[in-house]
Amino acid sequence: MTRVDIDADRCVGHGRCYTLAPEVFDADEVGHATVHTDQVAGELEAQAADAERNCPEGAITLSP
Amino acid sequence: MTETEGFVDQAVSGLADPQPMYKALRESTPVFRSPQVVVLSRLADIEMALKHTELFSSNMDAVDLGNIRPLIPLQVDPPEHAKYRRILDPLFTPREMARREPRVAELVNEMIDRFADRGECDFHEEFAVPLPCTVFLQLLGLPLEDLDQFLEWKDGVIRPEGASGFDRRHEASAGVAQQIYEYFERAIDDHVASPRDDLLSAMIAATIAGQPVSREELLDICFLFLIAGLDTVTDSLDCFFVYLARHPDHRHQLVEQPDILPSAIEELLRWETPVPGVARVAMADVEVGGCPISKGERVSPLLGAANTDPAEFPDPELVDFRRNPNRHRAFGGGPHRCLGSHLARMELRVALREFHRRIPDYEIKPGTQLAYTAALRSVESLPLTFPVPAP
Repeated sequence: MTRVDIDADRCVGHGRCYTLAPEVFDADEVGHATVHTDQVAGELEAQAADAERNCPEGAITLSP
Repeated sequence: MTETEGFVDQAVSGLADPQPMYKALRESTPVFRSPQVVVLSRLADIEMALKHTELFSSNMDAVDLGNIRPLIPLQVDPPEHAKYRRILDPLFTPREMARREPRVAELVNEMIDRFADRGECDFHEEFAVPLPCTVFLQLLGLPLEDLDQFLEWKDGVIRPEGASGFDRRHEASAGVAQQIYEYFERAIDDHVASPRDDLLSAMIAATIAGQPVSREELLDICFLFLIAGLDTVTDSLDCFFVYLARHPDHRHQLVEQPDILPSAIEELLRWETPVPGVARVAMADVEVGGCPISKGERVSPLLGAANTDPAEFPDPELVDFRRNPNRHRAFGGGPHRCLGSHLARMELRVALREFHRRIPDYEIKPGTQLAYTAALRSVESLPLTFPVPAP
């Protein structure tokens, strides 16, 4: 399993992660990202990796 | 004049294909000092400048639009900035925008109805300009008959007559700015008297730390919306449709594979970067890439150059609708990330989807010389011709 974390100080609400990986990330009331599923494998892990690569602020970390 | 200086000089009066200028700047003078502004063109420097608002402020000294108080939230930096974003961001989330999407789709189709049978249109005049402006009026809850007035004001502050570059900016815009304040004074009065389901009513009802938003704060937010929300989507539509008219293979891909649309929009935002740069002012003597910048100097992080920097984008000159990852900075980044980015994305998505569903093939009228406007990249006119769709 891979662990998904978001650095809330870095997130400014581009919304790329919850658009690309809606099963892993969610939006809070201001549109900043929250982690919906924090342990991922398989298809969800691929989604999470996609989001991590596309975050303009580098706010997402995936760790084993 | 060096090649780079020539490019920058042209950019002031509008540039059809800015990408070669970005490349030349990045490779020869990544921190370029023009008489008016220090231009940053490397992604790493741009990212740093956008993030460090304590060094590169977005305050009133960065750009003068004739306003008499800081525009909210653009010209207020952290930490105060956050209190405004906390009430404004919820009004512009992707979810909130999705709720508005059906209305926008109707509007887009009404606009296409007006020229579809004609086999030609001025895309700029008949679509790219009125669409974002009408959406804005609807969203804020203002009368649609004020459209022409708004367009005049928007151009009056963004492209004031008698101003070139930074000279005489304030004088040129101040009169129009005053009319904008007065208009919104009346609009706020009207919404206070009769609240409804729109953005202006929502802002009037909002509170910051238990206090209602003041009249001046409301005015400063409305003023910003007017200049930030109208021109930028017009610019994007113009840039995108010029690109798609000239690249039929890319256009066919959109028509044949509609699921590619969201990622195609991100790639067009990257390549075209309709808002090519943003304005900042140095708050201290700093050094960027070995080049000293003095406190008080204006600095422009060139977003278009960041978006074509090979340090981030392999094959940056290749427009690939499936590019992944695509960490473009067309909406800026850091605390001042474009508040309306999700509104812009929704408008662009609906416009491209509906237009190509109804008019999949079009070209720029032969013989047309496109004239790009300065600073923000729109064209003065975009005549398109297309086969009349079967009834």
